[in-house]
Amino acid sequence: MELLIEAIGFGIASGAVIALGAVGFSVQFGMSNILNITYGSLMTLGAYLGLFLIDRGASAWAALGLASLVVGAVSVVFHRALLAPLVRRGTRAFALVIVTVSAGVVLQYVIVAFAGPDAKSYGEQSGQTFRLLGFILTASQVTIILLTLVLMLGLHLLLTRTTLGRAMRATASNRILAQSCGINTDLVSDVAWLLSGLLCGAAGVALAITTVSFDFTLGPVFLIPMIAAAVLGGIGQPYGAMIGGLVVGVAGEVASAYTNPEYSVVVAFAILIAMLLVRPRGLFGAAWATRRLAA
Amino acid sequence: MEYYLVILLVYLGTDLLAAWGLNLEFGVAGIANLAFIVTIAAGAYTYVICTLSSPAAGGGFQQYIGGFSLPFPLAVVAGTLMGGVVGVLIGITGLKRLRQDYQAVAMLVVSLMAATIVSADTSFLNGNAGVAILPQFAPLSDQDPEIQHWGYVAIVAVACIVGFLVLRRFTDGPIGRTLRAMRDDESAAAAVGKDVVALRLMVQAVGGAFGGLSGALLVAFIGGWSPGAWAYVETLALLTAVIVGGMGSNRGVSVGTFLIAILILQGVQFLPQISFRIGLREDLGWILLGTLTIVFIWVRPQGVLPERRPKYGRSP
Repeated sequence: MELLIEAIGFGIASGAVIALGAVGFSVQFGMSNILNITYGSLMTLGAYLGLFLIDRGASAWAALGLASLVVGAVSVVFHRALLAPLVRRGTRAFALVIVTVSAGVVLQYVIVAFAGPDAKSYGEQSGQTFRLLGFILTASQVTIILLTLVLMLGLHLLLTRTTLGRAMRATASNRILAQSCGINTDLVSDVAWLLSGLLCGAAGVALAITTVSFDFTLGPVFLIPMIAAAVLGGIGQPYGAMIGGLVVGVAGEVASAYTNPEYSVVVAFAILIAMLLVRPRGLFGAAWATRRLAA
Repeated sequence: MEYYLVILLVYLGTDLLAAWGLNLEFGVAGIANLAFIVTIAAGAYTYVICTLSSPAAGGGFQQYIGGFSLPFPLAVVAGTLMGGVVGVLIGITGLKRLRQDYQAVAMLVVSLMAATIVSADTSFLNGNAGVAILPQFAPLSDQDPEIQHWGYVAIVAVACIVGFLVLRRFTDGPIGRTLRAMRDDESAAAAVGKDVVALRLMVQAVGGAFGGLSGALLVAFIGGWSPGAWAYVETLALLTAVIVGGMGSNRGVSVGTFLIAILILQGVQFLPQISFRIGLREDLGWILLGTLTIVFIWVRPQGVLPERRPKYGRSP
């Protein structure tokens, strides 16, 4: 029982990181309808930028903020310079996926060329240990959970309470209609890619803070639980992705507590395949932008 | 130097087999199989566990399942069949009528996942360390090195010729036309009575068998196989060959394979040592491949030697 509660505590902590990534992935997919696999390598970029800053004396949290800003900017440029022109030229969806996979590989090996292939670490970041309701969490895990909550609440308020958020939701559900209502959809989609890049960078640094060590495959490996979370919640739906992240995180940690640690990824994979075969629209059905999934 | 030529020829042959298989799936039938490398891995591992004797007899320095001490031809056939089986298993994830890009991502995840599972479980296929076999050139191990080398090149060449003849039965003629119809408009193909599910699984089986054959022949040559040899990026190298050469065109893909596998991936090895770090030239190779794929999809999506559009009836 104690093992189970501890595992759930760890699951919430890793679920928070997964949710950060999955929500960013969903915001972007909901807006642009592109499955952007480069996202994984952008996350790796975030982790290495964080390392660069920490090596130069920044605190882990300052590094998280700065790195996510940079990744956000890179994400906007990536969309504007490469993906948007391809979409305008009528490139087919699966060719776009191959472009994003290729771009991810290019980015990954550019990172390796600069930083080297060895495992890296931020050093000891965990700080004090808290015991709360039977959960045992380190200070950095608690901070990341709180950070995720704040960011998710912020995103919720942005989407529901501001004109920009309403414009984003309108563009996601019907771009042409939104355009004819006078919404500057290019600007709105830039904002979405910026937001998603910010979350992606934050997730990359948060992941690096909570793991012992990481290398250049951090992003691609993390793609599995992230896409699983996004699909579980209904891909393209930010709220679904939050819950999906939590479910995937807890299920993975519980499975690894009772079996082999590597199996946390296997659980994510099983969830993903089961969802794809049984209910590709996600648990909560179609709401934001999922109805375009069918072939 | 002569041995280097042997290496190049064997690599070219096994890469050709793999690229043809991927072209059948991706170029001809329109299945964006980003897990293709898993079929190659399946063929390679199957070859290894079929030729090795039982793990205990080998001194127990590596763990694996099986160990059947089969001769070379049987082990290659087993690898080919296993490639086909794994190809079908991968294909099942793509059966649900989802968007093509979504299927591609599902297959990418399958590829990442397979590598994770094999690395994690050392009792299955010796985990991250991989499995090793000796001797190399199994069918010719009691011959002179010279005969071994060129004999093996001949074996690979025969496999390529047989493979190409089999391949043409699927890419040309009635089957090829049906597959291209499915690629261009799946609903239309289904509407005229083509069984799309059966066709997809058939393509995955045949393409996977090509991957399996390629993997078995490759591992018999290099003598070892580990998760590092089949990272998901390796599929990208084959995919680049298909895209650069010309999707759906066997000639184009063959040219593309030569350009990618030999000129680029081997060519970067001859760059001057620009840095103290050893792996940098391989990194450059990947950067170049990824960039090339993007450039071709942008500028010339039909590839260097595009698929010939078939003409039906009399042209005016």
